[in-house]
Amino acid sequence: MFEKFAVKFGADPVHYKLIMDNEKVIEDRASEGKQGIAKLSLTLYCVFSFFISIFSALIVFLGIDVFIYTIIGVSMSMAIVAMWGLPYFDNLLSPIYYQAIAHTPISSRTYFMVKLTQILKSSVILLLCLNAFPSMSGIFLKGEDLTSIGYFFPIIYIPVSFLSGFFTIGVMAALAGYLTKLYSIKKLQKIAKSAQFFLPILFPLSFYLIPIEFFQEHYNSIVKYLSYLPIGWFAGIVSLAVSKINRLGFQRDLLLTGVALGSTLILIMIPLRSIAKTYAAYLAFLLENIDRSGKKLRIRKSILSRLIKIPETYASFCLCALYMRRDKKILSQVVAGSFTMLIMFIILFIRKIYPIEYITYNYALGLSPGFIVFYGYFGMTLSLGFLQAVRYSQHWRANWILSLSPYGNKAAMWRGAESTTLFYLLMPWSLIAFLASTYFWGIYGIFYVLPGLVLLNFSVFTYPEPKSGLPLSEETVEGEIGSGCLTMILYSIALALLIGVLFLARFIHVWVYVGVYSIIVIGGTFIIFKFKKKSNEKIDKKEYSDEE
Amino acid sequence: MIEVLNLTKEYGNNIAVDNISFTIGKGEIVGYLGPNGAGKSTTLKMLVGLLEPTSGVISVAGFKSKTHQLDLKQRVGYVPEEAQLYEHLTLVEHLQLMGRLYHLDEQLITYKITEFSKLFEMQEQAHQRISSFSQGMRQKCLIMGALLHNPDVLFFDEPFTNLDVTTVTFLKALIKRLAEIGKTILYCTHILEVAETLCPRILIINQGKLIADAPVEELRQQTNQKALNEIFVQLTETTGIDDKTNEALRIITETT
Repeated sequence: MFEKFAVKFGADPVHYKLIMDNEKVIEDRASEGKQGIAKLSLTLYCVFSFFISIFSALIVFLGIDVFIYTIIGVSMSMAIVAMWGLPYFDNLLSPIYYQAIAHTPISSRTYFMVKLTQILKSSVILLLCLNAFPSMSGIFLKGEDLTSIGYFFPIIYIPVSFLSGFFTIGVMAALAGYLTKLYSIKKLQKIAKSAQFFLPILFPLSFYLIPIEFFQEHYNSIVKYLSYLPIGWFAGIVSLAVSKINRLGFQRDLLLTGVALGSTLILIMIPLRSIAKTYAAYLAFLLENIDRSGKKLRIRKSILSRLIKIPETYASFCLCALYMRRDKKILSQVVAGSFTMLIMFIILFIRKIYPIEYITYNYALGLSPGFIVFYGYFGMTLSLGFLQAVRYSQHWRANWILSLSPYGNKAAMWRGAESTTLFYLLMPWSLIAFLASTYFWGIYGIFYVLPGLVLLNFSVFTYPEPKSGLPLSEETVEGEIGSGCLTMILYSIALALLIGVLFLARFIHVWVYVGVYSIIVIGGTFIIFKFKKKSNEKIDKKEYSDEE
Repeated sequence: MIEVLNLTKEYGNNIAVDNISFTIGKGEIVGYLGPNGAGKSTTLKMLVGLLEPTSGVISVAGFKSKTHQLDLKQRVGYVPEEAQLYEHLTLVEHLQLMGRLYHLDEQLITYKITEFSKLFEMQEQAHQRISSFSQGMRQKCLIMGALLHNPDVLFFDEPFTNLDVTTVTFLKALIKRLAEIGKTILYCTHILEVAETLCPRILIINQGKLIADAPVEELRQQTNQKALNEIFVQLTETTGIDDKTNEALRIITETT
């Protein structure tokens, strides 16, 4: 099916099949040396998505209408497809293996279609996992305006969700195409580069906003507002198909259906064709991407070298910090995580105007589940996401430099990656968290930050080291984006347990809560210090030992 | 300075290096020659501690690789065959990384980077990312990185690949001077002319086995050949070049 589609868009069928097979072999072989879970990443991502879809499907029993129900499902589906597709689009913009075949008579359009097919293939599987359950549970939707079409709901919902997925891909492709055109203009390049991070953030944000607004008085205005967004357009199709004709909002749904179908068609037809046409020039530009602007040689000494005493750790810290800024894959992870967190805090501040109990209500000093979830969960997503990303690099072959050096212990090198996480991610993040908590609870805000801070530090120090023990030392495999899911799930369970235990303690008695809180904070800090000390001892021991 | 005894490296049933032994003294420059896939780079990787030997003993600068690998690594400099580098780093950042990994003082690192950049005519590119470098510039990065910590033993694996004539001439002179001040150099190459002019002693490896270990003059006498490439062809039993050329021409011109 994909091959026919590609050929229709001008790909050479023989070359297309050849590169597809070749890239599959490369990806399979690249993951040969990896551990079991890393190999299963798409499967794992699908399973993870399926579980999320169950939760969104259960919303049906809250008695919401078909429009909002579809919006929730579609925004979740679009968000996950966008997040999954991001590294693939990155590969479209910076194809790793293109140089190897650049001199052969393979047309750029064929190469482009190969990259696009890879995105479409995995997206179709993902879309199925994401929408199967919500489409089934949609049968149970109730409402005065609904027709007796109930059992046919999946037949309507599934194609619409696929359409929304293709729309997302179309938006990302258009963005990618826009970037390829702007790449030669130095100043706009940076703006365009950062623009690609916003899309995956917008969808989760709307996903977060909708359920809250739904339960509030602003329902009608929010529905009106959502109709302007793509998620509203697709919800309009489902609403139109399953609701009665003589009802309020029929015309709106009809209009939204037209917009959804038209925009998807335009997005798929125009930008893709346009990129395919200009891709050759872009690839040629990539091959001659040489910066000739000379700068005067000046070496500044960093004060951080005094803070990190172990040279290997400092070397690794500098390497990871530079890659955090310069490697697009790592940067996209960090920027997306940071923006999500920032937006979450902005929402928290807005919520101060419309107070919501579960976020701001202080059942006891230091107990605010909403706040700890924001701080802990998104902090973990950011820090663990970074540690996961820093394991892999397209320059992994350069790890001989790290292997060759006379470093005493692998832990010292990985400690550099941990230090980067603490210094560049957790420190600013915790500062923002502290400012926010001070805004809510005054100086006592520190008590609300502490449990999350302990858990975040704990998660960084206990994050499993890569097999080689070195940062940036494993080969990047596109399909491994979801391999960090399991670690993340485990730490999320730990976070849920932490909140649960605090709640339970508060339920028993306030002094029990104070005791448990103190144990978590003081005990947790003690464990972290003990863990750090043990790790330092291990490094010191190796430093003076000759044996390896 | 370098002692290798019964060194073997096996990959499953394939023996890449087969029971080789040799000794290289302080201040010696030794050429390590052999056809493609003979086991030259594998030997070098074992000597610098990147690969673990299947069996045998390696001792470099008085340190055995099995028991004192860190001390061994501290004293060697290595220029690999392929310029695999962290491409998002600049030249300065790459050299800083190397210096820190070898525990050099920050001030010394700064001084050496500044001076090396001038010597290798790379001041203009010092703050540019390696990804924008030509192959020759990358090669210079590797060489500077290998010399930064003043190693006692240097392992060069095709160091002159992609370098311009001026740099090659400078490096040849530098290598000779390094040997004069007591550095031990094992020089691995395919280019026999370079080996002939630079290395008084030659090791030849073929199919994992060491087939010659002698000064160039002695090899000339042994084989009755004048040029090193003729000695090489004779020792590695590379015969039938004419037949091979004819066959290649026939295949290339085949159209049906």
